[in-house]
Amino acid sequence: MLNELLTRRLLFVGGKGGVGKTTTAAALALVAAERDRRCLLVSTDPAHSLADLFGRPIGHRETALTASLWALEIDPDRQADEHLETVKARMRRLVHPRSFAEIDRQLDLARHAPGTMEAALLERVAEVMALAGDQYDQVIFDTAPTGHTVRLLSLPEVMAAWMDGLLGHRERSARLGSALRNLGGGRVKGDDLSLLESAADHAEGSRDQQLNELLQMRRRKFVRARELLLDANVSAFLLVLNPDRLAVLETIKAHEILTRFSVPVTGLVVNRVLPPDADGAFLDARRRQEAPYLEQIDQIFSRLPRVRVPLLPDEINDMETLRRLGRNIVGDDPVR
Amino acid sequence: MAQKEGRLARLKALLEEFYVSPYRGAIARARREEDDLFMLFVFSELMGVPNPAAYYTLELQPLLLERFHDWHRRQGLEHSPLDGFRCC
Ligand SMILES: Nc1ncnc2c1ncn2[C@@H]1O[C@H](COP(=O)(O)OP(=O)(O)O)[C@@H](O)[C@H]1O
Ligand SMILES: [Mg+2]
Repeated sequence: MLNELLTRRLLFVGGKGGVGKTTTAAALALVAAERDRRCLLVSTDPAHSLADLFGRPIGHRETALTASLWALEIDPDRQADEHLETVKARMRRLVHPRSFAEIDRQLDLARHAPGTMEAALLERVAEVMALAGDQYDQVIFDTAPTGHTVRLLSLPEVMAAWMDGLLGHRERSARLGSALRNLGGGRVKGDDLSLLESAADHAEGSRDQQLNELLQMRRRKFVRARELLLDANVSAFLLVLNPDRLAVLETIKAHEILTRFSVPVTGLVVNRVLPPDADGAFLDARRRQEAPYLEQIDQIFSRLPRVRVPLLPDEINDMETLRRLGRNIVGDDPVR
Repeated sequence: MAQKEGRLARLKALLEEFYVSPYRGAIARARREEDDLFMLFVFSELMGVPNPAAYYTLELQPLLLERFHDWHRRQGLEHSPLDGFRCC
Protein backbone atom coordinates (compact mmCIF):
# COMPACT_ATOMS: atom_id res chain seq x y z
CA MET A 1 0.00 0.00 0.00
CA LEU A 2 2.79 2.38 0.84
CA ASN A 3 5.11 0.76 -1.66
CA GLU A 4 6.06 4.11 -3.13
CA LEU A 5 7.80 4.92 0.16
CA LEU A 6 10.74 2.91 -1.02
CA THR A 7 11.00 4.60 -4.40
CA ARG A 8 11.83 8.02 -2.92
CA ARG A 9 15.40 9.08 -2.32
CA LEU A 10 14.50 10.69 1.00
CA LEU A 11 12.09 9.41 3.58
CA PHE A 12 11.23 11.31 6.75
CA VAL A 13 9.45 9.52 9.56
CA GLY A 14 7.70 11.86 11.97
CA GLY A 15 5.27 11.69 14.85
CA LYS A 16 4.82 12.20 18.58
CA GLY A 17 7.33 10.72 21.02
CA GLY A 18 6.96 7.00 21.59
CA VAL A 19 4.45 6.23 18.83
CA GLY A 20 6.88 4.01 16.93
CA LYS A 21 8.95 6.26 14.63
CA THR A 22 12.26 4.52 15.24
CA THR A 23 10.63 1.13 14.85
CA THR A 24 8.96 2.19 11.58
CA ALA A 25 12.06 3.87 10.16
CA ALA A 26 14.25 0.88 10.99
CA ALA A 27 11.68 -1.56 9.59
CA LEU A 28 11.50 0.33 6.30
CA ALA A 29 15.28 0.63 6.12
CA LEU A 30 15.62 -3.13 6.51
CA VAL A 31 13.13 -3.73 3.70
CA ALA A 32 14.90 -1.25 1.43
CA ALA A 33 18.21 -2.99 2.13
CA GLU A 34 16.63 -6.38 1.55
CA ARG A 35 15.69 -5.14 -1.91
CA ASP A 36 19.31 -4.25 -2.56
CA ARG A 37 18.85 -0.55 -2.24
CA ARG A 38 21.81 1.08 -0.52
CA CYS A 39 20.10 2.69 2.43
CA LEU A 40 21.27 5.06 5.18
CA LEU A 41 19.17 5.25 8.34
CA VAL A 42 19.71 8.50 10.22
CA SER A 43 18.56 9.38 13.72
CA THR A 44 18.07 13.06 14.49
CA ASP A 45 16.50 12.49 17.90
CA PRO A 46 18.95 13.69 20.59
CA ALA A 47 17.88 10.64 22.62
CA HIS A 48 19.15 8.21 19.99
CA SER A 49 17.82 4.67 20.11
CA LEU A 50 19.12 3.10 16.90
CA ALA A 51 22.14 1.62 18.70
CA ASP A 52 19.85 -0.04 21.25
CA LEU A 53 17.53 -1.29 18.55
CA PHE A 54 20.32 -2.84 16.47
CA GLY A 55 22.27 -3.95 19.51
CA ARG A 56 25.54 -2.33 18.47
CA PRO A 57 27.28 1.02 18.74
CA ILE A 58 26.49 3.47 15.92
CA GLY A 59 27.40 7.08 16.72
CA HIS A 60 28.04 10.10 14.55
CA ARG A 61 29.76 8.27 11.68
CA GLU A 62 28.04 6.17 9.04
CA THR A 63 28.22 2.61 10.33
CA ALA A 64 27.54 -0.48 8.20
CA LEU A 65 24.82 -2.74 9.62
CA THR A 66 24.24 -5.13 6.71
CA ALA A 67 25.57 -5.41 3.17
CA SER A 68 23.42 -2.51 2.02
CA LEU A 69 22.30 -0.80 5.23
CA TRP A 70 24.17 1.93 7.11
CA ALA A 71 23.15 3.94 10.15
CA LEU A 72 24.13 7.27 11.65
CA GLU A 73 23.21 9.10 14.85
CA ILE A 74 23.67 12.85 14.46
CA ASP A 75 25.39 14.45 17.46
CA PRO A 76 24.46 18.16 17.47
CA ASP A 77 26.79 18.93 20.41
CA ARG A 78 29.79 17.67 18.56
CA GLN A 79 28.55 19.31 15.37
CA ALA A 80 28.26 22.73 17.04
CA ASP A 81 31.73 22.39 18.62
CA GLU A 82 33.28 21.57 15.27
CA HIS A 83 31.45 24.39 13.54
CA LEU A 84 32.57 26.95 16.12
CA GLU A 85 36.18 25.72 16.03
CA THR A 86 36.20 26.13 12.26
CA VAL A 87 34.70 29.60 12.52
CA LYS A 88 37.26 30.57 15.19
CA ALA A 89 40.20 29.40 13.11
CA ARG A 90 38.90 31.15 10.03
CA MET A 91 38.34 34.41 11.90
CA ARG A 92 41.87 34.39 13.27
CA ARG A 93 43.05 34.64 9.70
CA LEU A 94 40.70 37.51 9.00
CA VAL A 95 41.01 39.85 11.96
CA HIS A 96 43.68 41.76 13.81
CA PRO A 97 45.13 39.86 16.78
CA ARG A 98 43.82 42.56 19.11
CA SER A 99 40.28 41.32 18.32
CA PHE A 100 40.99 37.64 19.07
CA ALA A 101 39.81 37.79 22.67
CA GLU A 102 36.56 39.54 21.83
CA ILE A 103 35.85 37.18 18.94
CA ASP A 104 36.44 34.16 21.17
CA ARG A 105 34.09 35.64 23.72
CA GLN A 106 31.41 36.16 21.09
CA LEU A 107 31.73 32.57 19.87
CA ASP A 108 31.61 31.14 23.36
CA LEU A 109 28.37 33.05 23.88
CA ALA A 110 27.03 31.67 20.60
CA ARG A 111 27.84 28.11 21.73
CA HIS A 112 25.22 28.38 24.46
CA ALA A 113 22.72 30.58 22.68
CA PRO A 114 19.22 29.16 22.27
CA GLY A 115 18.84 27.60 18.86
CA THR A 116 22.49 26.65 18.43
CA MET A 117 21.97 22.92 18.83
CA GLU A 118 19.07 22.98 16.45
CA ALA A 119 21.05 24.97 13.91
CA ALA A 120 23.93 22.49 14.14
CA LEU A 121 21.57 19.55 13.71
CA LEU A 122 19.90 21.14 10.74
CA GLU A 123 23.16 21.83 8.97
CA ARG A 124 24.13 18.18 9.34
CA VAL A 125 20.71 17.06 8.11
CA ALA A 126 21.11 19.23 5.03
CA GLU A 127 24.51 17.65 4.36
CA VAL A 128 23.22 14.12 4.83
CA MET A 129 20.26 14.80 2.53
CA ALA A 130 22.74 15.53 -0.23
CA LEU A 131 24.13 11.96 0.06
CA ALA A 132 20.86 10.50 -1.23
CA GLY A 133 20.96 9.56 -4.88
CA ASP A 134 24.73 9.66 -4.76
CA GLN A 135 26.30 7.46 -2.11
CA TYR A 136 22.95 5.98 -1.15
CA ASP A 137 19.83 5.04 -3.05
CA GLN A 138 17.75 6.09 -0.09
CA VAL A 139 18.23 8.02 3.14
CA ILE A 140 15.64 7.46 5.86
CA PHE A 141 15.39 9.98 8.70
CA ASP A 142 14.14 8.76 12.03
CA THR A 143 13.10 12.26 13.09
CA ALA A 144 12.72 13.92 16.43
CA PRO A 145 9.23 14.47 17.90
CA THR A 146 6.82 16.45 15.70
CA GLY A 147 7.28 19.92 17.19
CA HIS A 148 11.02 19.85 16.66
CA THR A 149 10.64 18.38 13.18
CA VAL A 150 8.27 21.10 12.12
CA ARG A 151 10.62 23.84 13.30
CA LEU A 152 13.40 22.02 11.55
CA LEU A 153 11.39 22.07 8.35
CA SER A 154 10.61 25.76 8.42
CA LEU A 155 14.18 26.77 9.22
CA PRO A 156 15.74 26.45 5.76
CA GLU A 157 13.17 28.87 4.44
CA VAL A 158 13.58 31.36 7.27
CA MET A 159 17.34 31.11 7.05
CA ALA A 160 17.42 31.60 3.33
CA ALA A 161 15.37 34.74 3.84
CA TRP A 162 17.78 36.07 6.48
CA MET A 163 20.80 35.28 4.41
CA ASP A 164 19.28 36.81 1.31
CA GLY A 165 18.72 39.91 3.39
CA LEU A 166 22.24 39.96 4.79
CA LEU A 167 24.11 39.05 1.65
CA GLY A 168 21.94 41.18 -0.60
CA HIS A 169 22.59 44.05 1.73
CA ARG A 170 26.32 43.46 1.62
CA GLU A 171 26.27 43.62 -2.14
CA ARG A 172 24.23 46.80 -2.18
CA SER A 173 26.48 48.36 0.41
CA ALA A 174 29.60 47.47 -1.56
CA ARG A 175 28.05 48.88 -4.75
CA LEU A 176 27.21 52.14 -3.03
CA GLY A 177 30.73 52.22 -1.59
CA SER A 178 32.35 51.95 -5.01
CA ALA A 179 29.92 54.54 -6.41
CA LEU A 180 31.15 56.86 -3.70
CA ARG A 181 34.75 56.26 -4.62
CA ASN A 182 34.03 56.86 -8.30
CA LEU A 183 32.55 60.21 -7.43
CA GLY A 184 35.93 61.15 -6.09
CA GLY A 185 37.22 61.14 -2.55
CA GLY A 186 36.83 57.78 -0.85
CA ARG A 187 36.08 59.51 2.41
CA VAL A 188 33.11 61.72 2.93
CA LYS A 189 32.68 63.34 6.29
CA GLY A 190 30.60 61.01 8.45
CA ASP A 191 31.30 58.07 6.21
CA ASP A 192 33.35 56.18 8.74
CA LEU A 193 32.63 52.95 6.93
CA SER A 194 35.14 53.75 4.23
CA LEU A 195 37.56 52.46 6.82
CA LEU A 196 36.45 48.97 5.81
CA GLU A 197 36.08 49.63 2.16
CA SER A 198 39.66 50.08 1.11
CA ALA A 199 40.42 48.81 -2.39
CA ALA A 200 42.04 45.73 -0.88
CA ASP A 201 38.71 44.69 0.62
CA HIS A 202 37.24 44.20 -2.81
CA ALA A 203 40.22 42.66 -4.53
CA GLU A 204 40.15 39.04 -5.65
CA GLY A 205 40.43 36.77 -2.62
CA SER A 206 39.88 39.69 -0.25
CA ARG A 207 38.25 39.31 3.13
CA ASP A 208 34.86 40.55 1.94
CA GLN A 209 34.86 38.26 -1.01
CA GLN A 210 35.94 35.27 1.05
CA LEU A 211 33.13 35.89 3.51
CA ASN A 212 30.66 36.37 0.75
CA GLU A 213 31.59 33.13 -0.98
CA LEU A 214 31.55 31.22 2.26
CA LEU A 215 28.07 32.40 3.23
CA GLN A 216 26.78 31.84 -0.28
CA MET A 217 28.05 28.28 -0.17
CA ARG A 218 26.39 27.58 3.15
CA ARG A 219 23.19 29.16 1.96
CA ARG A 220 23.14 27.06 -1.20
CA LYS A 221 23.33 23.93 0.94
CA PHE A 222 20.09 24.89 2.68
CA VAL A 223 18.33 26.02 -0.42
CA ARG A 224 19.23 22.69 -2.02
CA ALA A 225 17.95 20.79 1.01
CA ARG A 226 14.71 22.69 0.88
CA GLU A 227 14.30 21.99 -2.82
CA LEU A 228 14.79 18.27 -2.19
CA LEU A 229 12.37 18.29 0.70
CA LEU A 230 9.64 19.98 -1.30
CA ASP A 231 10.02 17.72 -4.34
CA ALA A 232 7.39 15.00 -4.15
CA ASN A 233 9.42 12.85 -6.55
CA VAL A 234 12.37 12.93 -4.19
CA SER A 235 10.98 13.13 -0.67
CA ALA A 236 8.29 11.32 1.24
CA PHE A 237 7.07 12.21 4.70
CA LEU A 238 5.48 9.47 6.73
CA LEU A 239 3.57 10.24 9.91
CA VAL A 240 3.34 7.61 12.61
CA LEU A 241 0.61 7.73 15.24
CA ASN A 242 -1.31 5.57 17.68
CA PRO A 243 -5.09 5.40 18.05
CA ASP A 244 -5.24 7.72 21.05
CA ARG A 245 -6.33 11.30 21.61
CA LEU A 246 -2.98 13.06 21.92
CA ALA A 247 -1.34 11.24 19.03
CA VAL A 248 -4.31 12.04 16.76
CA LEU A 249 -4.26 15.72 17.76
CA GLU A 250 -0.53 15.98 17.16
CA THR A 251 -0.85 14.28 13.80
CA ILE A 252 -3.59 16.65 12.68
CA LYS A 253 -1.38 19.57 13.65
CA ALA A 254 1.73 18.13 12.03
CA HIS A 255 -0.13 17.28 8.84
CA GLU A 256 -1.56 20.80 8.68
CA ILE A 257 1.82 22.46 9.09
CA LEU A 258 3.64 20.14 6.70
CA THR A 259 0.95 20.73 4.10
CA ARG A 260 1.18 24.48 4.63
CA PHE A 261 4.90 24.25 3.95
CA SER A 262 4.18 22.10 0.85
CA VAL A 263 6.05 19.11 2.24
CA PRO A 264 4.67 15.98 0.56
CA VAL A 265 2.97 13.90 3.27
CA THR A 266 2.85 10.45 1.74
CA GLY A 267 1.00 8.36 4.25
CA LEU A 268 0.16 7.37 7.80
CA VAL A 269 1.25 4.44 9.88
CA VAL A 270 -1.35 3.77 12.54
CA ASN A 271 0.72 1.79 14.97
CA ARG A 272 -0.19 -0.32 18.00
CA VAL A 273 -3.70 -1.19 16.89
CA LEU A 274 -5.11 -3.93 19.10
CA PRO A 275 -5.41 -7.11 17.05
CA PRO A 276 -8.95 -8.51 16.83
CA ASP A 277 -7.93 -11.83 18.31
CA ALA A 278 -6.46 -10.35 21.48
CA ASP A 279 -8.96 -11.42 24.10
CA GLY A 280 -9.96 -10.70 27.67
CA ALA A 281 -12.17 -8.09 29.31
CA PHE A 282 -9.29 -5.65 29.70
CA LEU A 283 -8.40 -5.72 26.02
CA ASP A 284 -12.07 -5.46 25.06
CA ALA A 285 -12.28 -2.25 27.06
CA ARG A 286 -9.12 -0.94 25.39
CA ARG A 287 -10.50 -1.83 21.99
CA ARG A 288 -13.66 0.16 22.70
CA GLN A 289 -11.40 3.07 23.67
CA GLU A 290 -9.41 3.05 20.47
CA ALA A 291 -12.35 2.44 18.08
CA PRO A 292 -13.49 6.08 17.84
CA TYR A 293 -9.90 7.22 17.23
CA LEU A 294 -9.44 4.71 14.44
CA GLU A 295 -12.65 6.01 12.92
CA GLN A 296 -11.56 9.62 13.33
CA ILE A 297 -8.23 8.87 11.65
CA ASP A 298 -9.99 7.24 8.71
CA GLN A 299 -12.30 10.21 8.34
CA ILE A 300 -9.81 13.06 8.68
CA PHE A 301 -7.10 11.41 6.62
CA SER A 302 -9.36 9.65 4.12
CA ARG A 303 -7.23 11.00 1.28
CA LEU A 304 -3.95 9.67 2.64
CA PRO A 305 -2.77 6.09 2.26
CA ARG A 306 -2.90 4.48 5.71
CA VAL A 307 -1.49 1.29 7.13
CA ARG A 308 -2.49 -0.27 10.45
CA VAL A 309 0.19 -2.05 12.39
CA PRO A 310 -0.97 -4.30 15.21
CA LEU A 311 0.28 -4.03 18.75
CA LEU A 312 2.65 -6.94 19.15
CA PRO A 313 2.96 -8.92 22.37
CA ASP A 314 6.62 -7.96 22.81
CA GLU A 315 8.90 -5.03 22.26
CA ILE A 316 10.30 -5.13 18.76
CA ASN A 317 14.02 -5.54 18.63
CA ASP A 318 14.80 -8.56 16.52
CA MET A 319 15.59 -8.03 12.86
CA GLU A 320 13.14 -10.61 11.61
CA THR A 321 10.12 -8.99 13.30
CA LEU A 322 11.27 -5.56 12.13
CA ARG A 323 11.63 -6.78 8.58
CA ARG A 324 8.18 -8.34 8.61
CA LEU A 325 6.76 -5.12 9.99
CA GLY A 326 8.45 -3.20 7.20
CA ARG A 327 7.03 -5.55 4.56
CA ASN A 328 3.61 -5.06 6.09
CA ILE A 329 3.94 -1.28 5.82
CA VAL A 330 5.00 -1.32 2.20
CA GLY A 331 2.20 -3.70 1.37
CA ASP A 332 3.43 -7.28 1.39
CA ASP A 333 3.05 -9.83 4.11
CA PRO A 334 0.75 -8.77 6.97
CA VAL A 335 2.17 -8.98 10.47
CA ARG A 336 0.47 -11.33 12.87
CA MET B 1 52.46 79.28 -16.32
CA ALA B 2 52.79 76.99 -13.33
CA GLN B 3 50.64 79.40 -11.41
CA LYS B 4 47.97 79.27 -14.10
CA GLU B 5 47.92 75.45 -14.02
CA GLY B 6 47.53 75.54 -10.29
CA ARG B 7 44.54 77.88 -10.54
CA LEU B 8 42.95 75.66 -13.19
CA ALA B 9 43.32 72.61 -11.04
CA ARG B 10 41.70 74.42 -8.12
CA LEU B 11 38.83 75.58 -10.31
CA LYS B 12 38.35 72.05 -11.59
CA ALA B 13 38.20 70.75 -8.03
CA LEU B 14 35.70 73.42 -7.05
CA LEU B 15 33.43 72.65 -10.00
CA GLU B 16 33.63 68.97 -9.29
CA GLU B 17 32.70 69.58 -5.70
CA PHE B 18 29.82 71.80 -6.82
CA TYR B 19 28.30 69.30 -9.24
CA VAL B 20 29.13 66.02 -7.59
CA SER B 21 28.88 66.54 -3.88
CA PRO B 22 25.07 66.55 -3.64
CA TYR B 23 25.07 63.06 -5.20
CA ARG B 24 27.93 61.98 -3.03
CA GLY B 25 26.01 63.10 0.01
CA ALA B 26 22.91 61.23 -1.13
CA ILE B 27 24.85 58.06 -1.84
CA ALA B 28 26.70 58.22 1.43
CA ARG B 29 23.35 58.63 3.17
CA ALA B 30 21.80 55.70 1.28
CA ARG B 31 24.72 53.60 2.26
CA ARG B 32 24.50 54.62 5.88
CA GLU B 33 20.84 53.62 5.86
CA GLU B 34 21.79 50.29 4.33
CA ASP B 35 24.35 49.82 7.04
CA ASP B 36 21.89 50.71 9.75
CA LEU B 37 19.61 48.00 8.33
CA PHE B 38 22.55 45.65 8.47
CA MET B 39 23.10 46.48 12.12
CA LEU B 40 19.44 45.83 12.77
CA PHE B 41 19.70 42.40 11.17
CA VAL B 42 22.66 41.43 13.16
CA PHE B 43 21.77 42.87 16.50
CA SER B 44 18.14 41.87 16.33
CA GLU B 45 18.96 39.13 18.76
CA LEU B 46 20.29 41.57 21.33
CA MET B 47 17.06 43.47 20.83
CA GLY B 48 14.96 40.40 21.50
CA VAL B 49 14.14 39.27 17.97
CA PRO B 50 15.56 35.79 17.48
CA ASN B 51 17.63 35.48 14.35
CA PRO B 52 17.59 31.86 13.18
CA ALA B 53 20.42 32.60 10.78
CA ALA B 54 22.80 33.85 13.49
CA TYR B 55 24.64 30.54 13.83
CA TYR B 56 25.27 30.39 10.11
CA THR B 57 26.56 33.94 9.82
CA LEU B 58 29.04 33.94 12.71
CA GLU B 59 31.85 34.63 10.26
CA LEU B 60 30.48 38.13 9.88
CA GLN B 61 31.19 38.84 13.54
CA PRO B 62 34.61 40.55 13.19
CA LEU B 63 33.29 42.68 10.41
CA LEU B 64 30.34 43.58 12.54
CA LEU B 65 32.56 44.44 15.42
CA GLU B 66 34.24 47.05 13.24
CA ARG B 67 31.02 48.25 11.71
CA PHE B 68 29.37 48.43 15.08
CA HIS B 69 32.21 50.59 16.29
CA ASP B 70 31.74 52.97 13.36
CA TRP B 71 28.02 52.96 13.89
CA HIS B 72 28.01 53.94 17.56
CA ARG B 73 30.58 56.63 16.84
CA ARG B 74 28.29 57.97 14.12
CA GLN B 75 25.45 57.99 16.64
CA GLY B 76 27.62 60.25 18.77
CA LEU B 77 28.40 57.57 21.36
CA GLU B 78 32.05 57.47 22.29
CA HIS B 79 31.94 53.96 23.74
CA SER B 80 29.95 50.86 22.89
CA PRO B 81 26.50 51.13 24.43
CA LEU B 82 26.14 47.33 24.56
CA ASP B 83 27.68 45.10 27.22
CA GLY B 84 27.33 42.17 24.87
CA PHE B 85 29.40 43.86 22.22
CA ARG B 86 32.59 45.52 23.37
CA CYS B 87 34.49 46.99 20.48
CA CYS B 88 36.20 49.72 22.48
N1 LIG C 1 3.42 -2.28 17.05
C1 LIG C 1 4.12 -2.38 18.19
N2 LIG C 1 3.91 -3.40 19.03
C2 LIG C 1 4.61 -3.52 20.16
N3 LIG C 1 5.57 -2.66 20.55
C3 LIG C 1 5.83 -1.63 19.77
C4 LIG C 1 5.14 -1.41 18.52
N4 LIG C 1 5.65 -0.32 17.93
C5 LIG C 1 6.58 0.16 18.76
N5 LIG C 1 6.73 -0.62 19.86
C6 LIG C 1 7.64 -0.41 20.99
O1 LIG C 1 7.37 0.85 21.56
C7 LIG C 1 8.54 1.47 22.01
C8 LIG C 1 8.66 2.87 21.38
O2 LIG C 1 8.82 2.75 19.97
P1 LIG C 1 9.81 3.67 19.15
O3 LIG C 1 9.83 3.16 17.74
O4 LIG C 1 11.13 3.74 19.84
O5 LIG C 1 9.06 5.06 19.26
P2 LIG C 1 9.55 6.53 18.84
O6 LIG C 1 10.77 6.37 18.01
O7 LIG C 1 8.41 7.11 18.09
O8 LIG C 1 9.80 7.26 20.12
C9 LIG C 1 9.68 0.55 21.63
O9 LIG C 1 10.03 -0.20 22.76
C10 LIG C 1 9.09 -0.34 20.56
O10 LIG C 1 9.67 -1.64 20.57
MG1 LIG D 1 12.72 7.18 18.41
